[in-house]
Amino acid sequence: MTKAAPPTESSAAPRSLIGAAALRLLGGWGARAGLSWIGFLVLTAVFAPVVASSHPWVWKVGGQVSSPWLRHLTVTDAVLLLSFGVAVTLLCFRRVAAGRRIAAWAVLTGCLTAAAAAGSAVDLWRERAAGGVPMVFLMVAVLLAAVIGFMALIAVSSAASWRGKAVVGFAGLLLAGGLAAAPIDPPVSVVYSSYREATAAGAVDWQVLAPLAYSPGDYQRDAMSATGIDARLKKPSLAHPLGTDESGADVLSRMIHATRIALAIGLIATGIAVVIGIVVGGLMGYFAGVVDLLGMRLVEVFSAIPVIFLLIMIVAFYGRNLYLMMVILGATGWVGYATFIRAEFLKLRKMDYVQAAHACGVPLWSILFRHMLPNGVTPVLVLASFGIASAILTESTLSFLGLGLVEEPSWGQLLNQARRAGGQWGLTLFPGLAIFLTVFAYNLVGEAMRDALDPKAAGK
Amino acid sequence: MAEPLISIENLAVSFPARGKAGERNQAVRDVNLAVYPGQTLAVVGESGSGKSVSAMSILQLIPTPPGRYDQGRILWRGGSGTADAAGQHAQGVQNDAVDLLTLNDKAMRTIRGNQIAMIFQEPMTSLNPVYTLGEQIMEAVLLHRKVSRSAARDIAASALRDVGIAAPEQRLKEYPHQLSGGMRQRIMIAMALACQPRLLLADEPTTALDVTIQAQILELLRTLQREKDMGILLITHDLGVVAENADVVAVMFAGRVVEFANVRELFNRPRHPYTRGLLRSMPVLGRRAQRLDTVMDGATIPDDFPEKFVVKPHDPDPSPATPYGGEDARLHEIEPGHWVLCTPKNPQDHSAPAFPRLDYRRAQA
Repeated sequence: MTKAAPPTESSAAPRSLIGAAALRLLGGWGARAGLSWIGFLVLTAVFAPVVASSHPWVWKVGGQVSSPWLRHLTVTDAVLLLSFGVAVTLLCFRRVAAGRRIAAWAVLTGCLTAAAAAGSAVDLWRERAAGGVPMVFLMVAVLLAAVIGFMALIAVSSAASWRGKAVVGFAGLLLAGGLAAAPIDPPVSVVYSSYREATAAGAVDWQVLAPLAYSPGDYQRDAMSATGIDARLKKPSLAHPLGTDESGADVLSRMIHATRIALAIGLIATGIAVVIGIVVGGLMGYFAGVVDLLGMRLVEVFSAIPVIFLLIMIVAFYGRNLYLMMVILGATGWVGYATFIRAEFLKLRKMDYVQAAHACGVPLWSILFRHMLPNGVTPVLVLASFGIASAILTESTLSFLGLGLVEEPSWGQLLNQARRAGGQWGLTLFPGLAIFLTVFAYNLVGEAMRDALDPKAAGK
Repeated sequence: MAEPLISIENLAVSFPARGKAGERNQAVRDVNLAVYPGQTLAVVGESGSGKSVSAMSILQLIPTPPGRYDQGRILWRGGSGTADAAGQHAQGVQNDAVDLLTLNDKAMRTIRGNQIAMIFQEPMTSLNPVYTLGEQIMEAVLLHRKVSRSAARDIAASALRDVGIAAPEQRLKEYPHQLSGGMRQRIMIAMALACQPRLLLADEPTTALDVTIQAQILELLRTLQREKDMGILLITHDLGVVAENADVVAVMFAGRVVEFANVRELFNRPRHPYTRGLLRSMPVLGRRAQRLDTVMDGATIPDDFPEKFVVKPHDPDPSPATPYGGEDARLHEIEPGHWVLCTPKNPQDHSAPAFPRLDYRRAQA
């Protein structure tokens, strides 16, 4: 079949409403600035171990060339870097439609994540044999691997053409297999001072260091004994651009690595909330009547829960756990999305095209999620970008109160230290600025999205 | 005598009365209709007379609750596979006819859009704005036919060609907002016909269109009907459309069918007071009048009404409690091929009024 479209037609190619809205969104400076900052954070999160690490990239010790950096790479680092690599590779295939490339990226990342989850399930199984790992974690890991792998499988099997199926499926297998086969087994305990000792002893012939040669967990405890200088709470200097924190770790390095937590908590907590909200609100709006009545009471119950107090209580009972925090934030934050989707669906269920789809014999789930959801999801998208900002803020609040993570770096936890920092003003200014800018960026995007998706503004 | 494609028998549908707990408003009652293959049955009546409820009941599109099918059967003889699909509902199958009201949702989905399709009144809002036309037509095709995506695309393109749309391959990639109302109604028809249904329910398909487009669309429907031997149930309140297109006409008022006859007979010799009033109230081009006639002005009982039957005078505002035309009134064949809502004088004649059905098609122009 030949598809030689006349040139005039291709220049006036029809654009979907979503495409047009995306263009309007990118037209405003606010959205551009916000998205640039978020994009910068994503890059930082992906490349954090590359940029800021105490492990030399490559070095030659005793005639042996090796890469301590590669040896200390974790599974998470590998998944993020590989998935970023896939994204860049797919960007180069300009001839394939954008939607297909995004789908392919999602499938491949899904394969990688599934492989990683399966790998950690195997590790947990081994550790369990040694004792000490609760069964729950193992089950969650296995479940996660199974669900993500299954989703990737479904996505591959519904791909458009046989060739597409084969290419994406093969690439997914290759990536997942590669990740599983790769000897990713970072040492459990890391002695950062060994690098400095080796350098001081002259055992290193040459080495290539990361631009910022400090890992977030490198507390420089050796500095005191070696040089007699206390490395803690140093003001910004050339070696430590943002100074050091109260344990002697480099603040910039901790901030760089903390972007992962900031992004993850925002996206995952909001993602959980949006999914629950869409399902509950969608059912409420579509069925109305009794379902709606009961659903609204459920919404009222959940909106009465004080989230911060609940989180503090959970921390008191179950200890500090980032994933638990995400789940709590998601499980309590869905009410706003549910009410928005409900209102939209109450309106949409009366629309002629929904009736027409029904009269066409379209099954219920397809009416709900294929025909109604895309028409009613816009307010939720706007709300979600504000929700991400507030989730980040909540995590920072908890960390600031000293109830967040201890070992892993987070912006709020750095701010918490700032109370006792004395003259180390870098500890106050930069994490605070990062939180402010990130929350501001998501709010800018949300505002811009609201304007861009407003149907009344579409004509102007 | 051949069996009709679909026959609605004694259908009654009710909705809860607003503000009155426990009471129900009867939206339609004792509705009897039949459509033969290749025939156009026009259902005419005022707003709220039960035209749309009757049509939507065929596809079980009335939301239950609040609606309720109180009684009646809708016998469908258009499907080859329906009897199997309804196998678990043995009571619904007889003489290879399926009672559509007894089917569950899953069995119903094999009928909707596939054997019976529907086109709606508002072409501007009946297409989903976020999908291309191709995606929407192809979804219907892929749902009901075991074909590949590329074959479905070809079917969609040929459906667009059938309804007279130029460059269908190009149009498939366009979005609804890029089309005019008449074009969209063509798309709706193409979508409905893509699965080659045996019966088309057209719920005021031309009301939102201007007269020229209206004529084109109706002409198109006639052509497609002839090609595919498809039954059409045409709901309208435009008597001009009825006169031009219908083979058989059913007039409805207050949830009941008041008269059922072939189009020639109905326009030439209306028997029921309401029908007479309705026809009289049509303004005649070129005749000067201070004041146009209303339905009541013309709603008279004809002098030559058969003596065996009694027809009540038209009541423009019947109470919801009693059925329009009286408790005993049924459709009776007062003359061959002409059914009117009335009561027989002799109670013995009341035994079993035959369901109205007319295997009549107008001569092709």
